[in-house]
Amino acid sequence: MREPVSPDSSRLRLGVLGVVVLSLFSALLVRLWYLQVMASDQYQAVSTNSVRLVTTEAPRGRILDRNGVELVRNRISDVITVDRNDLPMRPDVKSRLAFILGISSDELQRRIESKRYSVYKPVPIARDVPKEKLIYVREHASEFPGVANTRLTEREYTQGELAAHVLGYTAEINSDELAARKRLRRGYKPGDTIGKTGVELSFENDLRGQPGIEELEVDAAGRVLRTLNSRPPVPGHDVRLTIDINVQRMVETALAEGLAAARQGQDRQYKKHFLAPAGAAVVLDPRDGSVLAMASNPTYNPSIYVDGSLAEFKRLQDPALHAPLNDRATEGLYAPGSTFKLVTSIAALSKGLISPNTTVDDKGSIKIGNQIFRNAGSAPHGRVRLDRALTVSSDVYFYSLGEKFWNARGRYGETAIQDTAHDLGLGEGIGRVPDPEIRKRLHDSNPKAFPNGGWFPGDNANLAIGQGEMAITPLQLGNAYATFANGGTLWAPRLGTEIIDADGTKVRDVAPRAIRHLDLPPTLRNPILAGLMGAVSDPKGTAHGAFIGFPYDRMPLAGKTGTAEVTNKQDTALFTAFGPATNPQFEVTVLLEEAGFGADAAAPVVRRICDGLIGEPLKPIARAGGAD
Amino acid sequence: MSAVSVSTRSLGKDVRAPRDAAAPWRHVDVFLVAITMSLAGMGLLLIYSATQHKENVGDISATGYLKRQALWTAIGIVVMVVTAILDYRLLRDLAPVLYVGTVLVLVAVLSPLGTNTRGAQAWFQFGSFQLQPSEYAKLVFILCLASYCAAHRGDLDFRRLVTVLAVASVPVALIYRQPDLGTDLVFIAILMAMLLVAGARPRHIAVLTLLGVIGVVAVFQLGVLKQYQIDRLGAFLDPKGDTQRSAYNLNQSVNAIAAGGLTGKGLLNGRETNLSYVPEQQTDFIFTVVGEEFGLAGATTLLALFALLVWRTWRAAALARDLLGTLLCVGVLAMVVFQVFENVGMTMGIMPIIGIPLPFLSYGGSSTIASFAGVGLVLNVHMRRFA
Repeated sequence: MREPVSPDSSRLRLGVLGVVVLSLFSALLVRLWYLQVMASDQYQAVSTNSVRLVTTEAPRGRILDRNGVELVRNRISDVITVDRNDLPMRPDVKSRLAFILGISSDELQRRIESKRYSVYKPVPIARDVPKEKLIYVREHASEFPGVANTRLTEREYTQGELAAHVLGYTAEINSDELAARKRLRRGYKPGDTIGKTGVELSFENDLRGQPGIEELEVDAAGRVLRTLNSRPPVPGHDVRLTIDINVQRMVETALAEGLAAARQGQDRQYKKHFLAPAGAAVVLDPRDGSVLAMASNPTYNPSIYVDGSLAEFKRLQDPALHAPLNDRATEGLYAPGSTFKLVTSIAALSKGLISPNTTVDDKGSIKIGNQIFRNAGSAPHGRVRLDRALTVSSDVYFYSLGEKFWNARGRYGETAIQDTAHDLGLGEGIGRVPDPEIRKRLHDSNPKAFPNGGWFPGDNANLAIGQGEMAITPLQLGNAYATFANGGTLWAPRLGTEIIDADGTKVRDVAPRAIRHLDLPPTLRNPILAGLMGAVSDPKGTAHGAFIGFPYDRMPLAGKTGTAEVTNKQDTALFTAFGPATNPQFEVTVLLEEAGFGADAAAPVVRRICDGLIGEPLKPIARAGGAD
Repeated sequence: MSAVSVSTRSLGKDVRAPRDAAAPWRHVDVFLVAITMSLAGMGLLLIYSATQHKENVGDISATGYLKRQALWTAIGIVVMVVTAILDYRLLRDLAPVLYVGTVLVLVAVLSPLGTNTRGAQAWFQFGSFQLQPSEYAKLVFILCLASYCAAHRGDLDFRRLVTVLAVASVPVALIYRQPDLGTDLVFIAILMAMLLVAGARPRHIAVLTLLGVIGVVAVFQLGVLKQYQIDRLGAFLDPKGDTQRSAYNLNQSVNAIAAGGLTGKGLLNGRETNLSYVPEQQTDFIFTVVGEEFGLAGATTLLALFALLVWRTWRAAALARDLLGTLLCVGVLAMVVFQVFENVGMTMGIMPIIGIPLPFLSYGGSSTIASFAGVGLVLNVHMRRFA
């Protein structure tokens, strides 16, 4: 039946074809076996691409003052959100929504595209939406597909500008912070909120809480199909501060009034009013380093970082406002002027350079090397001991100590004064409460305040009265005096007292931390204390004018004025005081930039704060008389 | 094996039929029909699984794919029956007319009469239906080659070989213009298989193979290919090397199959499938649905069905009463085998990504109907082996 042509050949050729077909099918089966049996697990791991993790930030903890008053809390805000998967298709919805919210379509688009929010979650596009608008959107839901309303928590600063620098603010994490936190494995991601300054930064780990995590199954088009797994966010812990908000208010008012009063004063040297653009005030509890109040002026309202406009941000940069974001109490570096004489005194007595009875004849000036150094106004104070030298703030006395130290450097070392300054915590990073991780050593912050190639006895003399390159922060200065006041314990300044969880249960105490203890025997402490008490209460004391009528019997005070010369600027006014002198409960330090003598400008502010602390009636601040 | 013994074995089944033992309707390959229907049924199931989760897109609703494929399957069955009933020797006489007609249609599709979809000018649009002439052209091509070679009784010298190549090159060139590289490769596979069985000289076949290899290299070197074609091949060679669409296709496809494991995720339960991670899943990547939802067991079953279909086709080729019948079956066999190997191999990453449908399974009217027509041809040859 078959055609006779080469049937065998045809058969052979069909056989070849069959073999080819068999081998092709075998190849498919082998591959199938490999993929589905041998390597299945390996591919399973890869194919989790249909699961997305979406994190929800936890509500931050509150910040309370020492009496439990809420300083920072979370406010519920009604928010309108947009599901990015729905809206791109509906320009009409977009324009309706923009109209309702009273914003332009471009602005709406910008908010929708904000990279701050996950693409798998609806994006908040308007906060604090008025009730009637919410209701309108809800009732016309069919006209607004993909639009929903929800509630978000926002930072609310109940006290306005009060304690702004202490509290700090939060904002979106930046790449550097992200990199640093990544290393710490803290689970931050771009767009998260993080504390930027102040307590918001230093207690970030307590305040933040744990972000909630949702595992969502997502299809190839990015639509969420279902939730596979979820862990709700754990709210952050509350932080109770050492700050007493009433004291803080009183201090900030005093500081602002003090600056205003300083501006009324006439600068004889420059023949114009003092500028007094800025200042700082610190109130410490010398017994454990607690910060009762800490102020920096000018200031700002941290809520700008929650809902501030661009114009408000720009205004903060206005030079006429003198950098309100800067925290001068913890970060401003200033020459301490005569307030530094405490350091020189302790150095001289403890190292045995002088005895309490050593006298110097103060003729108003002293020649060191071939240079003449003068008292303020060249006023002679006669033959003075250490205590008297402190009371009247004899520069000549301390110039001579500086010279003596330098001349005896073979015995005491070249940095005897600097060493004592360091022991008292100056330059120890203590000025930087918000960031305890930064430890800045005195030498690193003021390298020129140390003997270098061109160091002369005159440099040491300048150092001894707190001039030259020596620079400290107001908080460091207050803490150094607190250390002397409490008998020699250098406390790390403390802003938090305890951490409380969202249920009100205490998580932990923030214990006071002693950095070191200095040996201050009575033979050393008494003459210095007598000198400091004299500065306030002795009629010849530099600050006496500011404290006329102060109830010393109830509250004996010890203090020191300081007037620091600054190149091309008016003098910095400083005053620091603690009381009761022998059993101190508070230490008050005030610094006013470009405000003249410390006795004139800063001491009245301290007086006012002391009045407030002991419950005396508060009187308006006026410039006091007196030099230094 | 002699014709007598073959008929004896076949007669075993039909021994109770006393009259006209050679009547074609007595020798229908019911087994082949059953295999074909199983494949088509599986295709409907898989297309449903691949598309049921989709939202309405354009004018095709969620079950629209299923309904349309069911319609095409029904048409395909009718076409299969018609193809089987018309004696293939009559079809042989129609071959020249069909060839010219097909060439004209392939020219027409390149003209504005045709429709361009996804970069290929390969369709005629009729309302909401599309017709892809190159799918039907495959069968005409098989018929023409078989007619010519059979006419020369399996003796293909150089001159006849050149004639065959010339005849083949016209539709191949027209389809290349669309461009549809995949269908061209099917034509070449059919051509090579038929030349092999039709009696081309072994050295001619060797030279053609060599020319083919050189051609592939030249195509790459001379920049004849479009960039997307090179990308696809590149993705095959280095699937992790790029994040482009081509490599994405391949990775998702391989992932879906691997996710199936031994027994699969179960019908409609494939995650990659339900989440639309595999592009073109209801058409060229339909095999991934079997792979993911039915695992090794299901995929092997599917391949076994194809293997049975190929075996029945090969058997029909061997049993055919003339060389024409043998060559027709060989052509259909080459078409099915190449498409299965290329398509399944592509989804598993052992073949380059070239858009070729999986016969009976991929969503698409022309492909489904043409596949049924191919089986119709085999049935035709098989049932007339005594007539």
